[in-house]
Amino acid sequence: MRKILIANRGEIALRIVRACRELSIATVAVYSDADRAALHVLEADEAYRLGPAPAVESYLRGDVILGIAAQCGADAIHPGYGFLSENAGFAQACEEAGVKFIGPTSAAMRALGSKTAARQAADEAGMPRTPGCVHGLASPEEARDVAASVGYPVMLKAAAGGGGKGMRAVYRPEELEAAFATASSEAERAFGSGEVYLEKLIERPRHIEVQVLADEHGHCVYLGERECSVQRRHQKVIEEAPSAVVDEELRRRMGEAAVRLALSAKYTNAGTVEFLVDEEQNFYFLEMNTRLQVEHPVTELVTGYDLVHLQIAIARGEPLPFRQEDVHLRGHAIECRVYAEDPENGFMPSPGRITRLLQPGGPGIREDCGIYEGWVVPMDYDPMLSKLIAWAPTRKLAIARMLRALDEYVIGGIRTNLGLFRRILRDSDFQAARIDTSYLDRLLAASHLGERAGAETGLHLPAIAAAAIFEASRPGNGHDTAPVAGTSGWKSAARHEAVREAMWKPRG
Amino acid sequence: MKLELEIDGHIRQVEITPAETPGQWQIRVDGKPVEADAHLLRPGVLSLLIGGRSHRVVLDAGFAEPALHLGEKRITWEAGDPRSLRRRRHVKADGPMELKASMPGRVVRVLVERGEPVGAHQAVVVIEAMKMQNELKSPKDGRVTQMRVAPGDTVSAGDVLAVIE
Repeated sequence: MRKILIANRGEIALRIVRACRELSIATVAVYSDADRAALHVLEADEAYRLGPAPAVESYLRGDVILGIAAQCGADAIHPGYGFLSENAGFAQACEEAGVKFIGPTSAAMRALGSKTAARQAADEAGMPRTPGCVHGLASPEEARDVAASVGYPVMLKAAAGGGGKGMRAVYRPEELEAAFATASSEAERAFGSGEVYLEKLIERPRHIEVQVLADEHGHCVYLGERECSVQRRHQKVIEEAPSAVVDEELRRRMGEAAVRLALSAKYTNAGTVEFLVDEEQNFYFLEMNTRLQVEHPVTELVTGYDLVHLQIAIARGEPLPFRQEDVHLRGHAIECRVYAEDPENGFMPSPGRITRLLQPGGPGIREDCGIYEGWVVPMDYDPMLSKLIAWAPTRKLAIARMLRALDEYVIGGIRTNLGLFRRILRDSDFQAARIDTSYLDRLLAASHLGERAGAETGLHLPAIAAAAIFEASRPGNGHDTAPVAGTSGWKSAARHEAVREAMWKPRG
Repeated sequence: MKLELEIDGHIRQVEITPAETPGQWQIRVDGKPVEADAHLLRPGVLSLLIGGRSHRVVLDAGFAEPALHLGEKRITWEAGDPRSLRRRRHVKADGPMELKASMPGRVVRVLVERGEPVGAHQAVVVIEAMKMQNELKSPKDGRVTQMRVAPGDTVSAGDVLAVIE
């Protein structure tokens, strides 16, 4: 394997370029019209245009990507996460074209990709799962019968689903019929399949997932768990490894169950088995993600393994270079997903030019990002800017280290959720690891009220002095000229600066 | 230079003069003197020393309103000469009102056409960015007298989308 095409963008594309470079493998980036000036294009050895900005015309065009791979002589494709990473049709097209897809085979992806198929596989592997059905529901009547047998509350879910779409919690029998109809039509629109199934709703669960790695010679290991309970609208916000509630015994049981599932489906490469864990430490299989996860760095930091290096080794046909008993967890890692969105304004997206960027560093801090000062964050893709990851010997120190890094981090020109992480990391429930999947909603509801009460602020001299100094040194506004009201001076100053900076190569 | 600064919800009278040493400023806030030693590390990044306390101040340029990051706070301000700022605060809320984009994005739908009546809080335009759709609502009861965008248009934050009278 000498040249890898990376069929993705943003921080994950850059993360894979870095791994390839460390292994002396040439890299090929692909980009849409919105990403010509993106870092992954700059850092790769070769880069080719895919098409217009919308993902369906660029990063989702498997045919165009395979054409580029053939033309430039890439012998493998790394799909990253999102886009084509869990598309079995694309994995199969790669197999047929003789280009190695860095991930599981299309057959294994099909066996585990649909949630109902994965539930059947879980049963065969003797793995605990939530009570409910393992097939799509044919009618609201069938839904009613299954719900009655497992007991309310229940959860309706899209078989092809993800990201919270096509999901409905149902607390009473009379709500079921309407919920079935909306979940099914939402699933149809989002995934092109209206198949929904039903399972018992676990109340106040933790979301804990297990990283597995399987080579092509029948060896499979687990690399501990990740705690991903801090979520908003079913989207992870903070992840950590290990979980504060998982002890050696539970880790072994969950890990062995995850490995059994992977082996039963002849799974290869990196994968993640997601579980819900209830208050009595019972765990239930949720689904399997057949790709590298966004939050893989926390596992890397506590195990010491580079997951992308290992993915490439497995794809080359090499056996896993270690056994289960060689895997040891050390210390604690936390990841914050930094998004271009405004938590103070309904989490509204905030694309646009990054006019200022001060990045954190120092001991135990890792920042996986695809942004630079002057970069215009496109409006066409998801709003993730970077992942800030802190490692320390203990959870308490990892929290302190993350707070320190957040203080160093400044992103200007767009709004971000950096302030939200401070709020979470300082919260006493989070510090005591009293978290479940509804934790963040409760915190947001509570702190919203708190903020209003504490809105009164006194004299803030440094801010006043700084604002006055910025005003006095504003371009074209020397101290001898009269102050100009309005903001046009600021805007043109920012534009001038952006133009000037665009002439310089940004720092990686 | 004399300034009126509206900052953090308060109006301050500020007088600022550069001292002879570069980076030193004589500042009076509401008549009280403040000695500030400011060093611009690079455009928009200020190292500020006041009475021995060190502050990192980062200008947050690119928004309609000037803002700075200080510690963990983001603080916006408005500057002007005393008359203009006061006059603006007395503008009344009747008459034509502009519907402005609250985020950059692409116009997906226009729900109310020019000339049509509209109620307060009724959705007028839908904008999409980063896979999220956002309805922009009328600030008042009235009639749409101007519709400045059409589906497919790209807008920046603060752009006027429609005028309602």
